[in-house]
Amino acid sequence: MTGSSFLQSLYDSAVGSAIREGSMLFPSIESLHVLMATTVVGTIAIVDLRLIGFASHRSGARQLILDLLPFTWAAFALAAVTGSLLFTSNAPNYAADGPFQAKMLTLVLAGINMAIFHLTAYKRISQWDDALPPPRGVRIAGASSLTLWIVIVFFGRWIGFTVQ
Amino acid sequence: MNLLEFSKALYATPISTGIRETAGIIPTTQSIHILAIAVVVGSALVTDLRLAGVLETDETPQTVVRRYLPWMWAAIAVLLTTGTILIVGEPNRVLANPVFWAKMLLVVLAFALTLLFRYPILHPQFQIEHARWAGLVKPTAWVSLLVWIAVIFCGRWIAYAI
Repeated sequence: MTGSSFLQSLYDSAVGSAIREGSMLFPSIESLHVLMATTVVGTIAIVDLRLIGFASHRSGARQLILDLLPFTWAAFALAAVTGSLLFTSNAPNYAADGPFQAKMLTLVLAGINMAIFHLTAYKRISQWDDALPPPRGVRIAGASSLTLWIVIVFFGRWIGFTVQ
Repeated sequence: MNLLEFSKALYATPISTGIRETAGIIPTTQSIHILAIAVVVGSALVTDLRLAGVLETDETPQTVVRRYLPWMWAAIAVLLTTGTILIVGEPNRVLANPVFWAKMLLVVLAFALTLLFRYPILHPQFQIEHARWAGLVKPTAWVSLLVWIAVIFCGRWIAYAI
């Protein structure tokens, strides 16, 4: 099965058709997607600002991350599910949309940025848990994460204006 | 002048036309609006869940409220500014839209809850368990969170209700 026939089969699927043709489904799923996306960005921003060097509501960076990460992941999972459902309703056109492609690429970069942080600075967190400002590598990880997520929100909103 | 006439008059002004017809203004303004919502959601989530007694209970309510209230107000200021730009640019999309007015009502409610329930907590001598309205803190925290969620749903629904 080629890429374009796969996208067309998503479009033609019962789920894709139902979301496209029902009057309430698309707005409902989209609202949930916005709620989950803002929860992801809001909780990530709290952690990123602490990594950049702003004091948070608790002093230790490690406990802050542990407390907020479950919310970030749960919201991200729901954002991914709702996003996939929206994609299914108009798969070939989303796949061809510039801002959509840019958003997916930026999401991958945010994932790589997070993986690098967890494999490097986070392993040594006991050394900088209470430090303000944190070491330079940590501040860079926080700043790049926050920047990438802001860009993701912009691309996400832009899709609605450019998708065919 | 009724609301529809006002909407038409506003639509015809040069500033409204400028916002509408300059490429990129509306998507950029909406993106900033959503980022400010993310700040409200993060702040409201941590503060309201702390006041509800389910998150960060080893920190005092004062510490948590003091951390997030300024961010909340800054985000609300950005939301009102970007929201106003969007209304001026596309008054026909919102002013006759019942979902928009439902959202405004909910925003006023969320605003009042934020104002009334967070400032007393910031007072240095305040002890939440001794407050006369101590029993109201937990339910109000949940209501506040739910009202913000409803605001977000209404916000996205404006695009579909007219």
